[in-house]
Amino acid sequence: MGSAGAARLLEVEGIEAGYGEQTVLDGVSLGVDPGEILVVLGATGSGKSTLLRCIVGLVPPRRGRVRIRGRDVHAADGAEREQILRGVGMAFQEAALLNSMTTVENVALPIAEHWGAEEETALMLARMRLARVGLAGAGRKLPSELSGGMRKRAGIARAIALEPALLLLDEPTSGLDPTTARAIDELILGLRARGDMGIVAVTHELGSINTIADRAVMLAGGRVIAAGSLAEVRRQPDPRVQAFFQRALVAGAERRSLVDELEWVG
Amino acid sequence: MASPGSAIRVPLPAELVDEACRELARALRRQPRGTTVVLDGRRLAALDSLGAARLLRSIAEARNAGLVVRLAQLSEPARRALAEVDPEILEEAAPPPRRHPLAAIGARTLDAAEELSATASLARETGAGLTLPFGPGGIKWERTLQQMNIVGASAVPIVVFISLLVGVVLALNGAAQLRQFGATIFIANLVGISMTREMGPLLTAVIVSGRSGSAIAAEIGTMVISEEIDAMRTMALSPIRFLVVPKILALMLMMPLLTVMSNAAGIFGGYLVGIVGLDLGSDAYLSQTVQALLVTDVLTGLVKSVVFGILIGLVGARRGFAVRGGPEAVGLATTSAVVTSIILCIVANAVFTAFFYYAG
Repeated sequence: MGSAGAARLLEVEGIEAGYGEQTVLDGVSLGVDPGEILVVLGATGSGKSTLLRCIVGLVPPRRGRVRIRGRDVHAADGAEREQILRGVGMAFQEAALLNSMTTVENVALPIAEHWGAEEETALMLARMRLARVGLAGAGRKLPSELSGGMRKRAGIARAIALEPALLLLDEPTSGLDPTTARAIDELILGLRARGDMGIVAVTHELGSINTIADRAVMLAGGRVIAAGSLAEVRRQPDPRVQAFFQRALVAGAERRSLVDELEWVG
Repeated sequence: MASPGSAIRVPLPAELVDEACRELARALRRQPRGTTVVLDGRRLAALDSLGAARLLRSIAEARNAGLVVRLAQLSEPARRALAEVDPEILEEAAPPPRRHPLAAIGARTLDAAEELSATASLARETGAGLTLPFGPGGIKWERTLQQMNIVGASAVPIVVFISLLVGVVLALNGAAQLRQFGATIFIANLVGISMTREMGPLLTAVIVSGRSGSAIAAEIGTMVISEEIDAMRTMALSPIRFLVVPKILALMLMMPLLTVMSNAAGIFGGYLVGIVGLDLGSDAYLSQTVQALLVTDVLTGLVKSVVFGILIGLVGARRGFAVRGGPEAVGLATTSAVVTSIILCIVANAVFTAFFYYAG
């Protein structure tokens, strides 16, 4: 936890957000300190990705606040928001690399734009970032020429290009084979070990959760239903938490049956 | 669970085949709204997935018609087949609630206002981007040059070819009329003025809209779907400065050049008809053209072409940013970008023409 009085790296306070009439997040609060890995758990559709999009300013909340190092992301505009976002890196689930550029150009783009580095220097720094995620030599490839695991690594390399204080990872290991997933987990731990970067990783992969989580928050139906250390979250009696860790589809108690509801008693 | 009381019992057939289900539907339709219908399943021996789907469809339709449906006397296999079904699927099968006509008009008005506001915001940000030519945060000149090549240089052959043919057609049509008065030399006036004032800018706009307006919408729309635009925003990079400003600037610079080529090609088409088909002298045709053309006509056409370029770029970008969903939405955005920009260019052309006519 951060020292008394100092602003936390990330503070999410009671955010409610959604798309159109649909509410996806309903009063979610959480916080991250430097050097900490917070894993956001939850089944598909529980609002995990929307939470990340809200943190990074892509989805404006209807209520609540997102503060990064004490500064409200959504209240900031123009240059101030740009300054806040320069301290945040986000790796998307499908990497979202710019397909018209090579991998190294993708990583060099924020470096050249925000650090004002000349092109060759930006490219060299980008190669260093790619090497850090194990992609040395792959820089000349177009994103379409990379495998799923390589794309995810390239996405992480771009996210850490500006050495952000806060790194957001959306499903960093989903859809990968166990070996590649394990390598990405180790990469995430390595990133944290080399500095005081705070990391929020959204995932539903139990292997990753067990490997990387310092603390965990579990979402269901857009609300936080469990928070704390991984062990504390696991001990929560909520059937949705138990179902998640036991890999059950739906807790039996919640299941509805057509016959039970429509059967005529008479 | 339903309580015993007044209810209509409707027997389910032994097998839920098509004909039997239609009969069941007819029986259910005969019941007044609010009636509790108990579907008696004692004859129903087994229920496969297709039969279960038919039964559920009948139940959903009956519920949508305002009946309260219950099941009774289900055989064990039928119970097993239905026990796994979540009743929520019946609610999913209900027709969406009807909107009050006024609410529908209101929603459409709000959508239109939102679209207008988004377009205005895009135009404002693009305008702001155009005012910063150099330095960090300034215009991306390398990208602009690339775009000038794509929207301008690559379009030259088709613009010249189409304009040449239009010039030929204008001259041939004019010749048929003017020959009656022995005034075929005035074909030079007809073609020259038509091309520079109206046809050149408009033809170029239609071609560029088809080539580049669609490409802009498709490129940005695809980037929206693959989250590339979101990724740029999270990197605090403005997609408008990176993508839209270079394209619109390229259009603003290349449209007048393409228009000049279109004018020249159209006039050359008329010239070919004049000297080959109508035996007008080359010098006579050219000097007639020069006499007929006014600098203001040419300049008016060029000013129009710049405005058309801005319209094509803005519409293409807006349609691209508005893409939601999958690849089909990109296709629709592309079509919509072309249609909208052509309509807007024709409307703008009419406004310009009326303005210059009354302004003298």
